[in-house]
Amino acid sequence: MTDLTRSSGHDTDHPHLDDAAASLVPAIAGIESHEVPGDGTEVAAKRRVGWGFWVSVAWIAMVVLAAILAPWLPIDDPEVTQPTRVGERPPYPPGSEFWFGTDQLNRDMFSRTIWGARTSLTVGFVAIAFGMLVGGTLGMLAGYFRGKFDQGVSFVFVVLLSFPALVLAILITALLDRSLFTISVTLGILSVAPVGRVARASTISFADREFVLASRTLGAKNPRIIVRELLPNVVIPMSALALLGMAVAVVAEGGLAFLGLSVEKGSTWGKLILNGASSSRDLQEAPWMSFAPIIVLFLTVLALNFAGDRLRDYFDVKEAAL
Amino acid sequence: MRFWLQRLGAAILLLLTVSALTFGAMNILGDPLFNILGPIAGDTENPENIALIEAAEAEYNLDKPLPVRWVIWLGDFVTGDFGVQFSEDGQPPVSDLIAERLPRTLTLLVMAQLMAVFISIPWALWSASKANRPVDRASTVLTFAMIALPNFALAVVLKYVFAIQLGWFPLAFTANDPFWSRMWQMVLPAITLAIPAAAVYQRLLRTDLITTLQEDFILTARSKGVSRNAVLFKHALRPSLFSFVTIFAINTGALIGGALIVENVFLIPGLGRAIVEAILREDFPVVLAIVMIVSAAFVILNLLVDIIYSLIDPRVRAA
Repeated sequence: MTDLTRSSGHDTDHPHLDDAAASLVPAIAGIESHEVPGDGTEVAAKRRVGWGFWVSVAWIAMVVLAAILAPWLPIDDPEVTQPTRVGERPPYPPGSEFWFGTDQLNRDMFSRTIWGARTSLTVGFVAIAFGMLVGGTLGMLAGYFRGKFDQGVSFVFVVLLSFPALVLAILITALLDRSLFTISVTLGILSVAPVGRVARASTISFADREFVLASRTLGAKNPRIIVRELLPNVVIPMSALALLGMAVAVVAEGGLAFLGLSVEKGSTWGKLILNGASSSRDLQEAPWMSFAPIIVLFLTVLALNFAGDRLRDYFDVKEAAL
Repeated sequence: MRFWLQRLGAAILLLLTVSALTFGAMNILGDPLFNILGPIAGDTENPENIALIEAAEAEYNLDKPLPVRWVIWLGDFVTGDFGVQFSEDGQPPVSDLIAERLPRTLTLLVMAQLMAVFISIPWALWSASKANRPVDRASTVLTFAMIALPNFALAVVLKYVFAIQLGWFPLAFTANDPFWSRMWQMVLPAITLAIPAAAVYQRLLRTDLITTLQEDFILTARSKGVSRNAVLFKHALRPSLFSFVTIFAINTGALIGGALIVENVFLIPGLGRAIVEAILREDFPVVLAIVMIVSAAFVILNLLVDIIYSLIDPRVRAA
């Protein structure tokens, strides 16, 4: 039943083919302009996600795989001091031996960056998963039941949004501890309101549709309608938001690192960059210590943003002012 | 009139909630007594210390229930009494610290926003006039890159290139330098904040401009012989600035967070440095005051946007 209501772009399994098709359609439409001019091009333009999307996804997949497989990859131990070379003092610049160079303690930056990805991506993933679970649930319930409950939830969202995000993160991490769990959940709380608002708006736009009415007429109760009818419609466009939210959380971790409030144990991208840039002398003499993690962080955030943005256009997600 | 009162009431309610949450979190999760007395607070064996603890509790109202303390603190806060800095010798008032640090952060924010606006508006006009041509697509890719580089990373890159390699800017902020020299020291941090902001503004304004350019009155103006540039500047820009105003305010919140971080890279003793130092020393009133000032500024800013918005577009008031 839900299939009918999804946006027209769902049944495409071959975006590359669609690319080719899309580039052909305007030419055809130009020739046969007496037949519904422009209509076909708009649909086609919406359907494709573009090659940039797949490059982004490939990069994200590579970083995620490297992070997961880090203990089994043939790379140096990130915490072990490498043997120093004769007549040369560490840190060593990038080269064939150390791809990203080494740091002040002569540790391999390449391996440290991969191990940093483990913590940074975990923070990002847990944060957005928390936001989706809590914010998504609250937003959907508020959008479905409306009334007093909706007003209450909306007020909570407004309160959460009226703290500048970083200030709330500072407050919580400063008062509690700086474990991986606390920081992930803190950033998760920050994503509750933005995610919740989209879930709410999107639920409202579906709640009065015919297929919901049909389901209710057939005797479905509220829980069933929410889970079986509304959830599939709300969750798919939210995947775009998940990618964008993950990028925000990964960046937020880096920001907290620069305030001395990031995860205490292990290395994160933020902490690696801070370590390379904490003194101007280190930055001048061994810029690779901060630039290597900066480049990896930049490419990852770029890929997450780009893939998320393409998906958002694809599913046409809007935070409707309802 | 009813609309204004409602908006004002909502803003005040919001500020009260934010302050209650912050104050409550600080008092329940933190240990104010420890912040005041240090290790003595935990020592309840020694009778001398018990006397000290009781005196401190009485002085700082810690013997009263939390809601009462909140009301007392709120009353003090509204009248400009932010408490004292426990971690400093002689316990100077927090307001001294704020008065010293706030202007620097504000300067940084104003500078960054001005730069972002002056970059983004001409850029968006140029992009919109060349919508979907290769140059416009390239500039859209550029905005993606500008947004994807986090402010702390951008700060490190800019510091390396312009302060270390080229030597155009000093490496740190010197509070005793003359005014213009201090302003110059703020330029690089302001650029750091302005670059992603400019990209955000450009993208939004470009989209709105393209929508506006498809309106009938633009066609009318063009057919009456108004030049392309005049149409862009005189006819299309103003009606396209609606969402720009909103994103400008929302982004100020993000910029405040960014300023706190960037200050720490460029060693500018503003509110960002102050809150980091206060957290390290567990100086509770300082953290509380800074969080409250920033949140209050944010709420008030949003209220101002609502007001400006309803002045530009009266339909908002009716809704």
